[in-house]
Amino acid sequence: MGKIKKKGVAGNARNFITRTQAVRKLQISLPDFRRLCIFKGIYPREPRNKKKANKGSTAPATFYYTKDIQYLLHEPVLQKFREHKSFSKKLSRALGRGDFSDAKRLESLHKPRIKLDHIIKERYPAFIDAVRDLDDALSTIFLFANLPANRDIPASTIATCARLAHEFQHWVIRKRALRRSFLSIKGIYYGAEIQGQEVLWLVPYKFAQNVPADVDFRIMLTFLDFYTTLMGFVLFKLYTMENLVYPPRFDKTLDEQGAGLRAFQLEGRKVAQVEAAPPVPTKERDISRPLATIEAKIKEIEENIQRDGGDEDDTVAAEFADDGEKVNEGLDEFVPVRSKDGSTGDILPQPTADTNQGKLTNIFADFTVFLSRETPREPLEFILRSFGCKRIGWDPVLGEGSFTTNDADPSITHQIVDRPLIAGLTPAPPPTDNDTEMGNSTSAKGKVLGRIYVQPQYIWDCVNAGRILRPDAYAQGAELPPHLSPWVQAKPGEYDPTAPVADNGESESDEEYEDAAEDVKMVTNATDDSEDSNDEDGDEEEEEWNGMSSDLEDPADSDDGKKTGENPPASDDEQSDDEDLQHQRELEAEAAGRPYTAPTAANGKKSQAKRKADKAQKARDEELDRQKAMMTKKKRKLYERMEFGNKKRQDEKEQLERKRRKIEREKRKSKD
Amino acid sequence: MAPSATTRKRSRADAEAEKPVVSDDEFEIPEINGDDSSEDDDFSTGDEQSEEDEELSSEDEGEDDEEIDSDEVPSDDEALPKTNGEVNGDAPTEDQEDVADEVKIVTGADGNPRYIYPEIDPVYDSDDTDAEETNTIGNIPLEYYENYPHVGYDINGKRIMRPAAGKALDTLLDSIELPKGWTGLLDKNSGAALNLTEEELEIVKKLQRSEITDDGYDPYPDMVEYFTNTVEQMPLSSAPEPKRRFVPSKHEQKRVMKIVKGIREGRIIPRKPEPEAADEPEFHDVWADDAPPKPDHIMNLPAPKLPPPVHDESYNPPPEYLPSEKEKKEWEDQDPEDREKNYLPRSHKALRLVPGYNGSTNERFERCLDLYLAPRVRRNKLNIDPASLLPSLPNPNDLKPFPTTCATVYRGHEGRVRSVAADPTGIWVATGGDDGTIRVWEILTGRQVWKLKASTDEAVDSVTWRPAAEGRILAAACGNEILLVVPPIFDHEEESQGKEILSAGFGYAANKQQGKKEVPGTWSKPDLNLEEEGVVVTITVRKTVKYIAWHRRGDYLVSVSPEDVRRAVCIHRISTHLSQTPFKEKSVTKGIPQRVQFHPSKPLLFVATKRYIRIYDLAKAELSKTLKPGARWISSIDIHPQGDNLIVGSYDKRLLWHDLDLSTKPYRTLRYHDKGIRAVAFHHGGFPLFCSSSDDGTVQIFHGRIYGDLMENALIAPLKVLKGHRVTSHLGVLDVDWHPKQPWLFSAGADGTARLWN
Repeated sequence: MGKIKKKGVAGNARNFITRTQAVRKLQISLPDFRRLCIFKGIYPREPRNKKKANKGSTAPATFYYTKDIQYLLHEPVLQKFREHKSFSKKLSRALGRGDFSDAKRLESLHKPRIKLDHIIKERYPAFIDAVRDLDDALSTIFLFANLPANRDIPASTIATCARLAHEFQHWVIRKRALRRSFLSIKGIYYGAEIQGQEVLWLVPYKFAQNVPADVDFRIMLTFLDFYTTLMGFVLFKLYTMENLVYPPRFDKTLDEQGAGLRAFQLEGRKVAQVEAAPPVPTKERDISRPLATIEAKIKEIEENIQRDGGDEDDTVAAEFADDGEKVNEGLDEFVPVRSKDGSTGDILPQPTADTNQGKLTNIFADFTVFLSRETPREPLEFILRSFGCKRIGWDPVLGEGSFTTNDADPSITHQIVDRPLIAGLTPAPPPTDNDTEMGNSTSAKGKVLGRIYVQPQYIWDCVNAGRILRPDAYAQGAELPPHLSPWVQAKPGEYDPTAPVADNGESESDEEYEDAAEDVKMVTNATDDSEDSNDEDGDEEEEEWNGMSSDLEDPADSDDGKKTGENPPASDDEQSDDEDLQHQRELEAEAAGRPYTAPTAANGKKSQAKRKADKAQKARDEELDRQKAMMTKKKRKLYERMEFGNKKRQDEKEQLERKRRKIEREKRKSKD
Repeated sequence: MAPSATTRKRSRADAEAEKPVVSDDEFEIPEINGDDSSEDDDFSTGDEQSEEDEELSSEDEGEDDEEIDSDEVPSDDEALPKTNGEVNGDAPTEDQEDVADEVKIVTGADGNPRYIYPEIDPVYDSDDTDAEETNTIGNIPLEYYENYPHVGYDINGKRIMRPAAGKALDTLLDSIELPKGWTGLLDKNSGAALNLTEEELEIVKKLQRSEITDDGYDPYPDMVEYFTNTVEQMPLSSAPEPKRRFVPSKHEQKRVMKIVKGIREGRIIPRKPEPEAADEPEFHDVWADDAPPKPDHIMNLPAPKLPPPVHDESYNPPPEYLPSEKEKKEWEDQDPEDREKNYLPRSHKALRLVPGYNGSTNERFERCLDLYLAPRVRRNKLNIDPASLLPSLPNPNDLKPFPTTCATVYRGHEGRVRSVAADPTGIWVATGGDDGTIRVWEILTGRQVWKLKASTDEAVDSVTWRPAAEGRILAAACGNEILLVVPPIFDHEEESQGKEILSAGFGYAANKQQGKKEVPGTWSKPDLNLEEEGVVVTITVRKTVKYIAWHRRGDYLVSVSPEDVRRAVCIHRISTHLSQTPFKEKSVTKGIPQRVQFHPSKPLLFVATKRYIRIYDLAKAELSKTLKPGARWISSIDIHPQGDNLIVGSYDKRLLWHDLDLSTKPYRTLRYHDKGIRAVAFHHGGFPLFCSSSDDGTVQIFHGRIYGDLMENALIAPLKVLKGHRVTSHLGVLDVDWHPKQPWLFSAGADGTARLWN
């Protein structure tokens, strides 16, 4: 006999602790406990056996892992919370006494400041762990960067978020890490590859964001505190790995003028910096001098650009070239050596440095793009630059830092427009030097010849496709092709909107039938019902016709005793049976007061085939029922759940296909 | 103290050794010792000398009376105020002299001299003179001594004499005018009246007032005013104010100058500006040491990522993703928590037309809440083909033959058909119904060949054919009678054979029945018209018989009448016309028997009560096993022809398969009927089939194969649901029986028909 086990000393009873117990153990208030949980990434658990975990009680409780709480006991942040408590007492005392200078001094000098550095390292022991958890951090930071400051959200927080967001975007551009992007109704999704991990984040559209009243911003800000710290460290690491100085040089004046990404300037680290790496004090460029004319401004910018080499990438590259450190860091190609008899060894698959490198990430390298003033500049600039476009100009209303503000610039190859086509405007001739001097007046005239006008979706679709698409479909004012999510890869058995939908004859006729019904009823789903009921009718008749197994259900049938004794052969006198059946149906229809439509001869064959299929289906169903009957209850439940899920997916797919067929048919009709 | 206990002992020893000794020399030793120790000793020695003289004189007085000597110390009142030293000092000397003088030598009973020593005075060091003379009589009422002159004994065993009692008049006077401190009690020690003294009375008073009884304690002392509230107008001292009160402190100046110097030197910065930089975290490479990634621990559950966006979230989705009006309305009517997606697909012609999204902050907030409030569970995603879960069943074609269709309907009964039985030859089938008739039909044609109206008011509850090879005998239960019939449908030889078997026992029956007081069953010849119809014997039992079953050899017949509580089960022997009740008391079967069956090969009787099935060994006459099917109300049982398996049908819709070798619990529980099960039956002719019939009007056919290998469990597979009987007043198929040779099934329905299925 084994040793008798004591209750409540191991397993669930020992592993879990309720929230109340945890709070008591840590001797802090519940809000503080929550903050601590957010910082430390501690989350409730669901014990297998709640009753055991709750020491026999079944009252609802939130459980935490006991060791999580145990480790919290020595948390420096917890100590800070306690310090903060005593500090707030001092402060409130000073304020209560009206001793404002003292309060101020306390606030400025003695307020305990929470540092989260150690938590970052603790939660993410390796850099890759941090990258994996970056989704939420990025989404939150980008959201806050777009929120208005108010009583709950200090402006400095928003500025920090905006700065971090820009810094991250810079890194993505420089590393060409962006893989795909998606214009959704919620905002723009971006997917970047960092250290082999796909990081997905959502950036809301540039609108005044709705700040709901029912959101507890204290919680959000706690998360944000952590996320900004995490982001800072991650960016530091990313920048350092790229041999860049973090933080990048930030030009406040440019930022105030709406330069966005251009307000930052990346700097390569010198050898000395690599060793010491002290943060370089930012030195502001003096370009705040008001510019008299636009031309002068353009000139200034051009000069700037020339000085900066168009893009900081070039600067950095130049620096490396100067240092002579630029080596081909890419992989070398391994060519198998043939022996004399011509055979080679095993040929290993050659890893390419980055499958997306070169071809995909530089698709816009040859473009000179101009953004019309109605287009969203920031996402376009970001996405274009991350895919290699270096010359992006935009309308001056969109902010500072464009390649050119003159939309008549002859070097422009593509212009992104998002306005309807106005019929009356004549296309402008290809710009000449004169036009350039005349400034941005061409927009009034209409199109400039010699460049391609596309809608913004073109850029996204090109990026997701990984190549330059034909711009015809995306011309100004054209009806755009549907924009699809690049994250969805249609698996076999799932609905694929890009694949042509199977349009077999039967379904066609069904659809036709459905349409006819719809004309009468004008309700889509009712037609489905009617169709279904028709099918069922057919099934019933089928059964009757099939006879021997189920005819006895009908007492009227069994009353005439002669028929019951003999078994009609299944296939011999089908024809006569059919006639009988038809007669029977006619009678039934008459009795019910419906007009009977005789099945046509053409239908006959089809119905026969259908019958056969039905019969097979029925046999299958019966077999399935038998099998299910022999399963254990647990397995049966599991099986039914799986079936339910599969059926749901299948239904969804069928629904989509049906809709699509209908739409296509309507299109065809309207064409005819 | 000078004469310690040791010295005293020594002195006595000396005294006994050389007697009589006059004592002066002896005390020199303590003296010498005392000399170098302290002054006290000198003092005491001085005292002693003077005392010795005194003692010597006292010795002269009381030499002859020992008693006085022994009582000397306590009784001598003058001795009390003496110092301790003095008392102790004289005691040993006294002893010595007593011992020397008082030893008496008496001739003992044995003729030897016997020394009688005087009583020893222990001479305690402590002064116990204040110890009062105590009465040693213990806890005895004083009245016991009323008739004696004494009231008890003291510590030395001497009587304590009663104090002189006053005259009767005195007591009367005392009782009239109570003296102060009178308690009305007698002092136990002295026997006198116990009166309280003045002091004691005072203490009692104080106790009554709950005051402290200490002498001189004053609960209300006068207040001493240490501080007064009167402000003194004049200074206490007329000294002038010291100078230091007007001159700034040098020490403070020194300290101030230190700070001033620090400020001048720039060491101290007054009103330092707020350390803004402190807010800005200093970033560094926390991942400089390349730690391995977080190991995957079972308790570490990383938060699941949000799913990536799908097509219908696009600002310009394919048109088939757009919801129809109905779907839109449905979505809007739903509670926001129930919605599958928190957005409704929309289509915009151009990017500039896309409005801001209202729910961004809310959704992010929800995500934040999920991250820190939602319990995380590790769920294993079962990524398997559901088809792999399905058990592989034998192909139904391999399981053939089994009945599938209704071949014949036997019509004729008015009211329900209660029972059906196929005869062992496989040509006839007998039915019994509510109309009190027993009918025999030809199986294939469905023609009724014979009919017997057994009763006008009672239903025929059970019919069954005798299983033996020779003699076709049909047993039918109708009311409280069991009819044993030889239907006139067989050839003459068989018929006469059957009648012979049945009537063979009439002689036995007459003998036996006379001796008994109460007989479980009466065997009798039926009345004439019944006899003409073919009834040979009727057995009359006390209550309605619900079920009858034959033993395999056909000599015994067991009947169940559940209404008869004491004699529900009755075994009838054909050859001797004898009925027995194996269970005399209800307590033996522990419940009302529902069905009874003989084991197909062993002398076992299966008795199914409502909840349990008990197996009795008839040879040993004992209970051999109890099966617990777990059903609420067993309706029917049947035993597999090989005898190791049992099926049980119950009114709570369950069909239970028991393997007698495995356990007392069912091996399989099958629940496929919608209503209670009425009858179950194994095929006894070699096909691995069994069936159950139910009030839902269906008969279900199962494949039940038993393997010869004991290690292999029985294979049970559902085969067919036979529908045909109509449900009449909540009753469906009441009885089923298999054809003895063919895989054909007979069923008796409440709709008045019996059916053949093949």
